[in-house]
Amino acid sequence: MNWLKVFIAALFEVLWVIGLKHADSFWAWGGTVVSIVVSFYLLIMAGKRLPVGTVYAVFVGLGTAGTVIAGILFFEEPFKWSKIMLIGFLLAGIIGLKLVTEDKEEGVEA
Amino acid sequence: MAWLSLILAGLCEMLGVLMINRVHKHRNWQSLALLVMAFGASFLFLALAMETLPMSTAYAIWTGIGASGGAIMGMFLYGEPKDLKRIVFIGMILGAAVGLKLIS
Repeated sequence: MNWLKVFIAALFEVLWVIGLKHADSFWAWGGTVVSIVVSFYLLIMAGKRLPVGTVYAVFVGLGTAGTVIAGILFFEEPFKWSKIMLIGFLLAGIIGLKLVTEDKEEGVEA
Repeated sequence: MAWLSLILAGLCEMLGVLMINRVHKHRNWQSLALLVMAFGASFLFLALAMETLPMSTAYAIWTGIGASGGAIMGMFLYGEPKDLKRIVFIGMILGAAVGLKLIS
């Protein structure tokens, strides 16, 4: 559950990074601000049960990967194999972190 | 000046990450205000740095300082686990993120 919060937070991060760059109307800016609030809210909530430093690294990493992929798919930014390689490296790090991190779910306090 | 703002932006981000920890320890409005101020100042300094520095460079360095600093400080100040595997994985993620920002 807590990791899911981090992943959704990163998804909203991608939305607001795109928004900061491309928003040009009242609604687009409104959506950008809402995305910032939602992503930070989820980030903070995830930090309640998971180590904050770990969570923030995953949040930043996924947000960056998502933004690069969105740039290639929707905003005509150049496709490069080096980008895909770095994203693979990044995802490997995230999977590794998830495996070594204990999730302190409510009710199962040690 | 731009580099100074960039470093300040990174330090404020690091502070923001620490404030997330603080919010869970001390649940009050002061903690929340500090968190919002830290990230707010971080974005402000980043925007200032981006006026002169290339966006990708600025963004990469900002992330590098903020997220790695946040992780290191969390380990020392808030007792977050500091096993070697975790440090290697965080290093991989942040290294890749900084690389992506530099080439994008």
